[in-house]
Amino acid sequence: MTIIHVPKPSKKAMNPHRPVSGLLLAQIQHLQHAERRLPLAYRSKIYTHAIQTEGEAARYIREVTEAIHLAHSDAARQRTKSASHTNERKSGKRAKPKKRRES
Amino acid sequence: MSAGLDNLKHIVVLMMENRSFDHMLGSLKAVNSRIDGVSDTWNNLDTTGGEVKPQPLADFQGQLNPDPDHHFPAVDLQIFGGDKSPGRSPNMQGFVKSYFNQRRDVAHSQKIMYYFKKDDLPVLTTLALEFAVFNRWFASIPGPTICNRAFAHYGTSFGRVDMNPFDIIEPIKSIYARLINATPKHTAKVYYYDTTSSTMEVVNLLQNQPELFGTYKQFLSACDQGGLPEYSFVEPNYNDHETDAGEEVANDQHPDHDVQAGEFLIAEVYMRIKRNPALWRSTALLVVYDEHGGIFDHVPPPACTADQFTASANSTGTGMEFKFDRLGVRVPAVLISPWIPKNTVVDRVFDHASIPATITKFFLNGDAKQSPREIHADVFIEPNTGPVDPQRNLLSLDTMRSDCPEFDV
Repeated sequence: MTIIHVPKPSKKAMNPHRPVSGLLLAQIQHLQHAERRLPLAYRSKIYTHAIQTEGEAARYIREVTEAIHLAHSDAARQRTKSASHTNERKSGKRAKPKKRRES
Repeated sequence: MSAGLDNLKHIVVLMMENRSFDHMLGSLKAVNSRIDGVSDTWNNLDTTGGEVKPQPLADFQGQLNPDPDHHFPAVDLQIFGGDKSPGRSPNMQGFVKSYFNQRRDVAHSQKIMYYFKKDDLPVLTTLALEFAVFNRWFASIPGPTICNRAFAHYGTSFGRVDMNPFDIIEPIKSIYARLINATPKHTAKVYYYDTTSSTMEVVNLLQNQPELFGTYKQFLSACDQGGLPEYSFVEPNYNDHETDAGEEVANDQHPDHDVQAGEFLIAEVYMRIKRNPALWRSTALLVVYDEHGGIFDHVPPPACTADQFTASANSTGTGMEFKFDRLGVRVPAVLISPWIPKNTVVDRVFDHASIPATITKFFLNGDAKQSPREIHADVFIEPNTGPVDPQRNLLSLDTMRSDCPEFDV
């Protein structure tokens, strides 16, 4: 079986200071579009008009992507919580009161 | 009956960025004359009237700066050479002119004709020679990334020819929604590289269905543990960034990102599937590029069935409306499976609408609302529900190959 050597990219390939490309600017625009629909608490504080480099773009992309995931998982948690309250009410059961810690 | 199709359980698509067929695989014509690559007969004229031929002088990085224009009006110039007359034909004569427009430098504009030597790209060229290479896989639109990638997810761009956010127009649904909402349910994931690279399908998929997404690390782990969904769409790393683990170099091959980093990614995806024998037997991997990135290719894109949408003269920027009735420039595409004979060359016409068309036919028996473009797109894997046409079936071997190459990644 032939084993083919794959050269690794040059160390010089990495350049987060490279001017941001049209593709990344478009991705930022799409993320901003999504960010505007997020509750305020999840929004980034990065001023996107000032983004000039790939590294700056990467920071914003990560913040908003993670915020979208977090907002959805928080909403799912809330949904589960309110569904279990509704079920408890329907079945007449009430959540056990938490034990008071003896001091 | 086809042993390859009987065994097929997973389809993986890895979509890279912005390189033309001739630029990446054109050198292979010298190795296999059935591959429609670069020849000395193709040329463009530069702005001084000088003849510019394709030359094997492409560099991994630093050469295509600025990023060659690949918005709709520039691609129109590249394909039609500036001819705007009614009844015009594509002549592929405008690549050098288009690149000159960006830097007004004649010598620099000629670099748009450069292509890679075979040995520069040991991964992509080896896979193309060892498995099935497509002579006629075109971008879906003569335009940029976002609308072309939309065709891979939805079979249409819903009338867009640009990079702006778009809305899904019902009843067409993404290939992922079709699969996970089907009865019986199927499994599908989009694997972006990491949250710092994220996805190019933010507004409809990430925003509304973040649970569809996984990371590249999760993709690799799913390969190792046999947990790959039936359909996986893998996105490369679109930007250079730091993580806790160190530097992550962009590996999407978008100019001016390093082409060798993308070679490494392709090799890693291939090897991760291959190293799990059960997965290797049951998986087909398509490596394809979203569009040509403004770089020369010699094959005129053919006309195709019009979509149900029309882009206005204003939104195309050419003064002419576009009915989505012509494909974009040709891109590299390679289908990999141990059931494919070595040196397979496919001459049928494909575009990115072929991706949801194939997945829908193979996993859902064609049961979905599809755009006219997707309905008429050819499939690269035959449905395995009835008699299979041996002339069309690419996974045609009766027994699995044991001579497939390996990469040291």
